[in-house]
Amino acid sequence: MVALTGLRLLVPVSESVTLRNTVAYAIRQALERTSETGGPAAIHFVYPVSERPTFDSEMEETETARTLLDRVTVWAEEDIGENADEMTIETAVVGTREYLFSPGDYADVLVRYARNHDLGVAVFDPGFSPLGTTPLLPPLEAEVQQAGLEVEEAAVKRERQSPPLVRRATVAQFLTLFGVSYVFYLLLAGSAATYELVTGAISASVVAVALWRVSLTSPVRPVRTVKQLGRFALYVLYLLWEIAKGNLHIAYVVLHPELPIDPKVVEFDAAVWSAISVTTFANSITLIPGTLTVDVSQRRFTVHALTRDTHEDLLAGGLERAVRFVFYGRAAMEIPSPRERTNDGDENA
Amino acid sequence: MSPREIAILVLSAGGVFFAVVAAIGLIRLPDIYTRTHSVSKSETFGAVLALAAVALTFGNDLSTLKTVLLLVFMFITNPTAAHAIVRAAADQGIEPWTTEDEES
Repeated sequence: MVALTGLRLLVPVSESVTLRNTVAYAIRQALERTSETGGPAAIHFVYPVSERPTFDSEMEETETARTLLDRVTVWAEEDIGENADEMTIETAVVGTREYLFSPGDYADVLVRYARNHDLGVAVFDPGFSPLGTTPLLPPLEAEVQQAGLEVEEAAVKRERQSPPLVRRATVAQFLTLFGVSYVFYLLLAGSAATYELVTGAISASVVAVALWRVSLTSPVRPVRTVKQLGRFALYVLYLLWEIAKGNLHIAYVVLHPELPIDPKVVEFDAAVWSAISVTTFANSITLIPGTLTVDVSQRRFTVHALTRDTHEDLLAGGLERAVRFVFYGRAAMEIPSPRERTNDGDENA
Repeated sequence: MSPREIAILVLSAGGVFFAVVAAIGLIRLPDIYTRTHSVSKSETFGAVLALAAVALTFGNDLSTLKTVLLLVFMFITNPTAAHAIVRAAADQGIEPWTTEDEES
């Protein structure tokens, strides 16, 4: 069994400087094992898509994945040379239906693929870092190993330690970060004495210099940000009102002698798109008493509702509309509520 | 009593009330999901009311601002923690309690 699956390799790929050598390494390994045991080998190159597939980036990232996999196939064929009949190469894009975030998510997707295709060994590219910012590889390897696969890290030299945490950034981002830190420092200090001004400027500079390429990921667009903040202030008022209302409802339910609860798990696709708006929506659902976000996978929300009323409110979509208002403006409020969208008529079940 | 003192009293009383509701809910509700509802939400609201009372007490002071900041962070972190607990429960495969369980 081991001998059989030992010839079937799983190689997760992403854009990296060591990818070319990793492909060569994987092929070499497979060829060596074939010559030892004689059986035919198979190598599956898979590309885990990390991005939440919003409408445009889905196309973009899958597109990138396909180009990369095509390139990998060409390299692999080049390396195999005349041994082509002993080896099959396959490529796949995985994780398209999930939002991969933690090493665990990646491990799940990879292990599932390996199981489905009966692959026994995972060969990792030391430069494999689809997330770009966080070191993913050590925990990912551990998780995959725990799931019962043999894990190997391709013995290739890193040509250059790529600094993924640091991105190119603009002066505007630097100034924004500096300004925000400075104001926050002065707020906490609570005075505008010369001493505070000087130490604040020093601290803010340190923060800005150290983090300006790390913390702000998107370009500064003051007008849009101010507009969003304004709408967000309105949203907070709305949210506070909902929270107060919901809390009274829950207090009534909890103190009622008969405890009239009717817990239910609801799943629905929310009409919010970017990572930050999904986060806001999920957190708001949890904040409002009576509903609790259990899980979010892409746009699919799993929500636990405590009573029938809260469940009805959720599907009526008031909150979702409010979140869309914050991030996309008034026009986005027109989109119908989850109930109208699904319309599967099982609400009264 | 000045209106401000009354407001402070009302807010603190509200804070205590919701904290008590959270505790009662924790005992009365049947499973981890429903209990998380009670603990995370009523408790947050109680704490927020109490903090609002604190902010009012400080009045026109820098501490008010810091209290408000505290309040904001509670609003951000509490639902996150509740979500983490519930998600962990769901990952463990714990089935939510429903009204049918009671009847059977």
